[in-house]
Amino acid sequence: MGDAHRPVLLRRTRGRLANPAGAPDAIVGWVRAGFPAVRTGLFGFTAYLAVLGTGGAVLVGLPGAYVLARYEFRGRETIRSLTVVPFVLPAIMVAVGFTAMFGTHGALNDLLGVVGLHLTVAFDLPLVVAALTFYNAPLVTRFVVAAADTVDARAVETARTLGAPRWRAFLDVVAPQLLPTFLAAVLLVFVFDFMAFPIVLALGGLQLATVEVWIYSLVSNLDLTEAASLAVLEAAITLTLTYVYLRYERGGGAGTASATVERVPLVGPPSAGRLLAAAYALVALVLYVGPLASMIAESLTRAGSLSTANYAFLLAQQLGSGGTRPTVAVSNSLVFAVGAVAIAVPMGVSVAVVTSDKGRLRRLAGALLMAPLAVSGVVTGIGLLQGLVFGVDVLGYHLSVTGPVAIVAAHAVAGYPFVVRNVAPLLARVEGDLVAAARTLGAGPARAFRDVTLPLVAPGVVAGAAFAFAVSVGEFNATIVLARDGATYTMPIALERYLSNPSIGPYLGPAAAMGTVLLVVTAASFVVVERLGGRWEG
Amino acid sequence: MVRLELSGVRRTYGDVAALRGIDLGVRDGEFFTLVGPSGCGKTTTLRCIAGLETPDAGAIRFGDTDVSDVPPEARGVGVVFQHYALFPTMTVRENVAYGLRFDPPDGSVDERVAAMLDLVDLAGMGDRDPDELSGGQRQRVALARALAPAPDVLLLDEPLSSLDARLRDRLRLELKRVQRELGVTTVYVTHDQAEALAVSDRLAVVHDGRIAQVGEPEAVYDGPETRFVAEFLGENNCLDGRAVGGETEGSLVRAGETEFAVTGDHRGPVTLCVRPESLDVNASHNQFDARVRDVEFLGDGYRVHFEWNGRDVVARLDDAPTGSVTLGFDPADAVVLER
Repeated sequence: MGDAHRPVLLRRTRGRLANPAGAPDAIVGWVRAGFPAVRTGLFGFTAYLAVLGTGGAVLVGLPGAYVLARYEFRGRETIRSLTVVPFVLPAIMVAVGFTAMFGTHGALNDLLGVVGLHLTVAFDLPLVVAALTFYNAPLVTRFVVAAADTVDARAVETARTLGAPRWRAFLDVVAPQLLPTFLAAVLLVFVFDFMAFPIVLALGGLQLATVEVWIYSLVSNLDLTEAASLAVLEAAITLTLTYVYLRYERGGGAGTASATVERVPLVGPPSAGRLLAAAYALVALVLYVGPLASMIAESLTRAGSLSTANYAFLLAQQLGSGGTRPTVAVSNSLVFAVGAVAIAVPMGVSVAVVTSDKGRLRRLAGALLMAPLAVSGVVTGIGLLQGLVFGVDVLGYHLSVTGPVAIVAAHAVAGYPFVVRNVAPLLARVEGDLVAAARTLGAGPARAFRDVTLPLVAPGVVAGAAFAFAVSVGEFNATIVLARDGATYTMPIALERYLSNPSIGPYLGPAAAMGTVLLVVTAASFVVVERLGGRWEG
Repeated sequence: MVRLELSGVRRTYGDVAALRGIDLGVRDGEFFTLVGPSGCGKTTTLRCIAGLETPDAGAIRFGDTDVSDVPPEARGVGVVFQHYALFPTMTVRENVAYGLRFDPPDGSVDERVAAMLDLVDLAGMGDRDPDELSGGQRQRVALARALAPAPDVLLLDEPLSSLDARLRDRLRLELKRVQRELGVTTVYVTHDQAEALAVSDRLAVVHDGRIAQVGEPEAVYDGPETRFVAEFLGENNCLDGRAVGGETEGSLVRAGETEFAVTGDHRGPVTLCVRPESLDVNASHNQFDARVRDVEFLGDGYRVHFEWNGRDVVARLDDAPTGSVTLGFDPADAVVLER
């Protein structure tokens, strides 16, 4: 972020916040101090890292989009649906995977060791960028492929008959239709990268401190005022970018396809495109299957031989590092997830019903939907911590909630957009006439909703619930801020503790085992989502 | 402007033969229609002419040139699709001017585009975006875009099917006027037989990947050569029977207990076809008694469904009958097809 932008942001935040968390004072103090270089460097570095991560996502995501949009092959639809998985994969687990793959004792070095080589890339900038790419490239792919599906094949054919060669028809007709969606994806990826927390924390530590990591470390030192001021600044930046994103998103998908562009078989005589596809498959294999497979392999080995010791550790009532019991983490995760789903589903369905009406409410709800994505979990966590956990005074009563309730609330907020996104399209397909028919046959509005609408949107509700479950199980950012009392840690938090403080030995094993459990839970949720035709289009 | 010729064109998709050998000759400047039910191969034929599909066998010639291996961008065709296929990221003017990027006109591009928009009655609409136009206007832009580079052949794939009935009738006339003004060789694909009869110089009925019959609309309507053509173009009452020798002129067709007199010399198994408008309550020939089942009012008369010998017979009558009536038809109005 350039200095030129900051005063504008500051004026806005000062005008709107009547000192709810001491933020403006801190900012005023910071401005008076002449923008200390540490913070300039902090935001600057965060933006720099986000640019690198976004670049990686585009570099890996675009060829993927090309392959999926251009070629037809077995498993194409499966791979296309798999692009949603990173969205719900716990980031801390991905960090474990990358450590297992590229770390000093990782799978890559084991392989290289066979030929006598050794590589030291662990805990460095390239690793963080690679992990961010792992996360966000599928998003670029998904957005662009979805946009490509709205391109009218007849328009491309018309361009051909009017004299345009194939590449020219692509440039003139297809590319302009993909551009707004592509830019929207780039912006969204930038926002996500800007807020990336667990990956940077686990793989980079404080040497690669981004705003999020810095906020977290301030919270850890109980310097909540300064943390809040940084959080407000960060939220202002990400919300502004998200607003721009929403404007772009509306511009995308302008085409109304009467027929989609036909895909050519992937298997066939070698061509430049097919060779690219093959090379891409190799990159995707290393980037995606590599870390996950390394993590699973790591979880099944101890001291170089096959062993279930790491899983036995998860079941044993023993203390890990920092007094973290694996069984407590597992049961906490499940209980919180059930609670979060119980809140997120009614919340999401209600929002979907409200947004199905046209008008101003719809736009407002649309913005509300994006908010949990645009504001990082750490900021949500601080908000809940300041507001509810420490308590607020209302009419002479002191209201406060306990840690677990706050965690469930944060998880529900993170998960409900997925419910909305899955229910809303199905709701849009329920014809008004159908409900009208039920009404004229004697059913009241509520009864008509229950008897006619709900069964039609039920698959979306279940898919959304599965998403919300997976999001809750994997949630890290808000949980680590809120799980401060020692007993409310979840699997991702336990994972981070094992990873950052391996006092149980030089093994990645326990972390890898817990990561594998997380992977299984996430994958199971995904199977449910996939079976029910769940969706997460931008 | 060019003569168009297809010979032995075949196209198979997997196990499905879409075209089983299409032979066609379209005259220079002619408005030629391919008409048939959906899935008959008419659109595939059009796409082969445009170069958007590659035939498995056969040849396509524009004039004396075999264009079978020429890519679509070099064929010099203009195509209009059912759903307009306007480029959504370009204005109306940019859409119409697109083909001129590759084939610059003699004069200025702006003048050419203005002339084309004028031709389709859209003068002054050049700066609009496609999504600001009505369905009829979009289709006129698509037509102007296809015609702007002065193509040798104009190909129209169900261009009016997305429009409502009244607009369709008006645009049909306009299309015909523009085509006549420019004299461009035109192939028009439609499933609507009434449209095909109304608009074509000549038409070809396509059935199951083959050409069933080619000719001027009146000739094909009045002289169908197969039962499929007889029943597809307009309404028809078709009745299987056996032709036996006539006394002086013509023949007799026996169907069940009844004998009908027809013109011409026929022998053996035949199908007798009589148009609803040829049936009359006052006819003096070929009389039979039929019971009224349903009556539809059409404004200028009635379509009456009769039951006769357990089968449906349709007649177009000026007055609505009730109960049982005696129908008949002139022997010269019947068409007899060998089976």
